[in-house]
Amino acid sequence: MASSSSLSLSSLPLPSSSGLRSRSHRDPVAAIVSIPASRWWQGRRGSAVAVAASAARKKYKGTVMREEKLAGMIERKVEEAKAACEGEEGKGSDGCKVAWDEVEEVSQAMAHLRRRLAESDRDPLESFCQDNPETDECRVYED
Amino acid sequence: MSIPLAPHPLTPSSLSTTEDVRLGSPLLRRQFVFYTNWRKGRRGRGASCGISCSAEARTVVIGLAADSGCGKSTFMRRLTSVFGGAAEPPRGGNPESNTLLSDTTTVICLDDYHLLDREGRKEEGVTALDPRANNFDLMYEQVKALKAGVAVEKPIYNHVTGLLDPPELILPPNLLFIEGLHPMFDPRVRDLLDFSIYLDISDEVKFAWKTQRDVEERGHSLESIQASIEARKPDFDAYVDPQKQYADVVIEVLPTQLIPGDNERKVLRVRMVMKEGVKYFNPVYLFDEGSSVSWIPCGRKLSCSYPGIKFFYGPDTYFSHEVSALEMDGQFDRLDELMYVESHLNNLSTKYYGEATEQMLKHGDFPGSNNGTGLFQTIIGLKIRELYECIVAEKSVTPLEAAKVF
Repeated sequence: MASSSSLSLSSLPLPSSSGLRSRSHRDPVAAIVSIPASRWWQGRRGSAVAVAASAARKKYKGTVMREEKLAGMIERKVEEAKAACEGEEGKGSDGCKVAWDEVEEVSQAMAHLRRRLAESDRDPLESFCQDNPETDECRVYED
Repeated sequence: MSIPLAPHPLTPSSLSTTEDVRLGSPLLRRQFVFYTNWRKGRRGRGASCGISCSAEARTVVIGLAADSGCGKSTFMRRLTSVFGGAAEPPRGGNPESNTLLSDTTTVICLDDYHLLDREGRKEEGVTALDPRANNFDLMYEQVKALKAGVAVEKPIYNHVTGLLDPPELILPPNLLFIEGLHPMFDPRVRDLLDFSIYLDISDEVKFAWKTQRDVEERGHSLESIQASIEARKPDFDAYVDPQKQYADVVIEVLPTQLIPGDNERKVLRVRMVMKEGVKYFNPVYLFDEGSSVSWIPCGRKLSCSYPGIKFFYGPDTYFSHEVSALEMDGQFDRLDELMYVESHLNNLSTKYYGEATEQMLKHGDFPGSNNGTGLFQTIIGLKIRELYECIVAEKSVTPLEAAKVF
């Protein structure tokens, strides 16, 4: 797997660092060497890890509500889809494929929310709640 | 930032319509605001484009097609990152907005052009994949308007409630990405695209990715995940898949050939199929353009751990188009492997040695950072940058030149 020590750029066949001009302000050479090789790519973490990490990010009631709502919807819509596809008449029917399409839609919405929670320090509702602090959704969530 | 100036050459009457847009909720009138010259014009470098005259910046439109949940958002983040800054949801406004904004780019999710909301689709018996569920007329009008430098009020499809929410104002950006199931379905929209990409995930990999995405969710099981994929497949094959023949680049994600009997789908074989003859797009090649090259970089100079890395490059035909295909099977373990590979690829459109590696490093935590998906998505980002700079450097004489402000 990934090696555990940092790689120094001098060991690689590169021209002098003056050739590496960053398009942004920071020095790319420093940026590259400062990232330990072991942490370079971490791959996709399981959503279980994302759930644990996201617990820290949820600040507003609205976000918690969304998460619970989507989780409940996935469960419910999977059941509905199984029912819609039952039997000879159900299997291959329009109702069957629409039901599974809904499952896909809410699964994707849930994954999207989880990713947003895992990646950022801010609650997704942060800027909305700054403008609308009085709404029910923007009550601070107490665990 | 917005300064109404002299009307755009495309006169208001040709852009506004007398009919109001029906959005499944109360009639909403679109308001057009005219923007000219407020965007920073990018002076084209000219060297790689062969054109030396700098001119008016205009909106360059890029289309990205893929099934939902197939890494499109990762792709989008890599693409927008090449242009600097992270693309983020708009501050304020509807928190369920699907749009992403950065300094130079705007990403529009084509689900916003659903004609039917979730209830409506259920009643009609159509999936979101079906063209009948989507408003291609509106999609065409709004992409056309944005491309012409005119802001639009774009509907918002709320994925949580399944309803169409009131629209949000979208300002014309330097670079507009439209991503979704049908960016290339309608021929009029297709003609507006300056570049198009299709992300083609094989069935085995799709199952692995969706399992990874869903298996921890209450209610889901391997069976339900498989059932969902199978139930959507007929519509997908009929309406979404055929778009790949129109794409300038197709990125195919396939099971690896390096590990016999692999089921994990962690190691992937990724094939980038690049159309020949596309303006301002020079396909990446290995060693000798137009020839066929099979390359295993691991050897004396570079040691790799199992299963290693294997490249293939060569000309091919794809839906009766001439293409060049670059393929990578395996995964990167170390930084120096990535650098080594970058130094042997040509036509990468990097601006300095190591730029592709640097871009990969910037997003080391994104899925696919250690294999061809991350590498090729990063490369496409660099190619789009070059294409964008060439387009804005195109010599053009417009009445706006005379009205140049700021």
